[in-house]
Amino acid sequence: MRRLLIAGLMVSAAGSAAAETVSIRVHYAIPTIWAETQKALEAAFEARHPGIDIVLDGPAESYAEGVQRLLREAVAGTLPDVAYVGLNRWRILEARGLTQPLDGFLGDRAAAAEAGYTGALLSLGQYKGVQHALATSASTLVMYVNPDLVARAGGSMEDFPTTWDGVIALAARIDALGDDIDGIWIDRHDWRFQSLLGSFGGRPMNEDETDITFDDEAGIAAATLYRRFAQEAGMKSYGDDQARQAYPAGTLGIMLESSSLLARFQKAAGSRFEVTVRKLPIAASDPSRVYFPTGGSAIVMLTDDPAKQKAAWEYMRFVTGPEGAKIIVENTGYAPTNALVLKDESYLGAFYAANPQAKVAHEQVAEHAGPWYAYPGAEGVAVTDLIAAALVEITEGADPETRIKALAETLRERLGMKR
Amino acid sequence: MRPGRRIREALTDLWLVGPGVAAMLALIFVPVALVAVLSFTDYQFGARSFRWVGLENYHRLFTDPIGRKAVTNTLLYVAIVIPFSMTLALLVALGLHRLAQTMPRLSGILQAAYFLPVAATLVAMAIAWQMLLHPSIGPVNAVLKQLGLPAPDWLSDRGLVLYTLAAIGIWQSVGYNMVLFLAGLAAIPRHLYEAAAVDGATRGWERFWTVTWPMLGPTTLFVAVITATNAFRVFETVATLTRGGPAFASDTLVYALYREGFVYFKAGYASAITMVFFVVMMVLTLAQFALIERRVHYR
Repeated sequence: MRRLLIAGLMVSAAGSAAAETVSIRVHYAIPTIWAETQKALEAAFEARHPGIDIVLDGPAESYAEGVQRLLREAVAGTLPDVAYVGLNRWRILEARGLTQPLDGFLGDRAAAAEAGYTGALLSLGQYKGVQHALATSASTLVMYVNPDLVARAGGSMEDFPTTWDGVIALAARIDALGDDIDGIWIDRHDWRFQSLLGSFGGRPMNEDETDITFDDEAGIAAATLYRRFAQEAGMKSYGDDQARQAYPAGTLGIMLESSSLLARFQKAAGSRFEVTVRKLPIAASDPSRVYFPTGGSAIVMLTDDPAKQKAAWEYMRFVTGPEGAKIIVENTGYAPTNALVLKDESYLGAFYAANPQAKVAHEQVAEHAGPWYAYPGAEGVAVTDLIAAALVEITEGADPETRIKALAETLRERLGMKR
Repeated sequence: MRPGRRIREALTDLWLVGPGVAAMLALIFVPVALVAVLSFTDYQFGARSFRWVGLENYHRLFTDPIGRKAVTNTLLYVAIVIPFSMTLALLVALGLHRLAQTMPRLSGILQAAYFLPVAATLVAMAIAWQMLLHPSIGPVNAVLKQLGLPAPDWLSDRGLVLYTLAAIGIWQSVGYNMVLFLAGLAAIPRHLYEAAAVDGATRGWERFWTVTWPMLGPTTLFVAVITATNAFRVFETVATLTRGGPAFASDTLVYALYREGFVYFKAGYASAITMVFFVVMMVLTLAQFALIERRVHYR
């Protein structure tokens, strides 16, 4: 009888413990990069917080597909509690009122900065002063250089050019090495253009996003770079897949690409040459205006249930904190999005000692991370393809100034900025 | 009181036909009707409200430079693929049909080889094409350079890319059309050739012109409709090789539909493209039915 009583008590105790366990459903995308990382994050978090059970949804193949799925789930009322989304895509969720503001959880900004959430990092997830997302991984545009081709062209990695003029001159010398060797390549694409624009200190839009501002001096200078790459350094009109084959094959001297591709390039190039990363030249007269739009992922809170929100915030704070950042950086090669891990060597010191190229790329993120502007409204994504098309035309000979000014006008019209 | 015989029969009919009709209504007609309704709105995927915009979406598809480009690109693609794919398929079928009489095994192997592109996954094949056509490290341009010929940017030259995709489309459909033509050739009765020979048509060209070609008429029309249907649907090569680029130079109807709906989330506009595509497919399908009817007439 006594035994039965004890057993009964134990069952009821287990029952109430189970009732206290909160489960948090997590959505993520790109399993090739994230699957292992997510499992590591889940295990580390659950070890810390036994009362919270993390349930990973089956991953979406890409960030674009992930957002589609979230929108479908929003319509069906089956949204997960938190989601990892592309840094340029959380605004799609925000525009439909799906993201929960995080300001209340973050507390005051001084305390947040203390915890590693610097103003630059927080800016990646802010819109109109409200914090909707926290960055979880970051990448910026860097130069991938083939040092062998640089040496053959009479240059050296020690005095590698730090101005655009220097880079173009070197690229032209590499291009002249042979028919099947190319000097430089950059994709004709919104994010790449915003990066060059940032190097000249420009911004794509004004502060309250009511006007296009890339038709100023900085924007024209950035567009002119495309023209000069093609005209002076013989840039080919590769698609991104083709360029991503050419660089590791050793036939492309300088490639401007996302820092997140480092591990992939190192693996593809093998022992052919040493994949080397250089920071982008800074061309603005006022370096404090320089920023590079940041790609990568951010985490958003979708649940509106207060109990779940509390648990979800614990999880979000963990994955964006130093321990989470360490796991993410070591597994994905993305740059960290918590300032503490860069200050304190004990987190990533060993990783950077083994990966000096990653350190160069991550330094640029820490120095110049800035938001990747998403154009507002229904036509926001569509206009990025118009930008890409204009850059193709400029590369193929259109006058940068005329074309960029016409493009800005088209965008103002399509985005409803003309009143 | 038992219901009358007529009513019972009607109920049996309903019981037999009903499930199929209900499934068709629920799975085909209702979604099409919904898409048709959406095409008159500015609905954004996931949005909570929408506005009626009348025919604006349709107007935009045929007047906006990018929309028009998708339409003209698709028509140009179809106009290239149909004649080339059919002519090549007919030549191959004639050759292999003749070869089958002397060397049946070799003919069989060649038939399988020509049919391979049809059986292979087009997406995987597209990646192979991408490597073959790489402007600097691809084998195609390496050969051209050896021969002292210019080495074009097959997939990133705006003036060339649609023709490259059309060539891949032809490569992909020749095998399928060849099989259809072979079936058509096998169905031609031998005695017609004997009769033609009696009438003095002994040379190959005369035999083709007086017997083979007229007898292949229905097959040819059928192949034309099938090729047109497939060509209008071109998507995989565009999505994997060019993503409609550079600068919309290889944008096609179905790719534009995907882009507007699933990349831009403009469900209303994407629905309008779907309806236009639906009408084209409807016309082709009706033509196909009509031709199959005609074919019986020839027997």
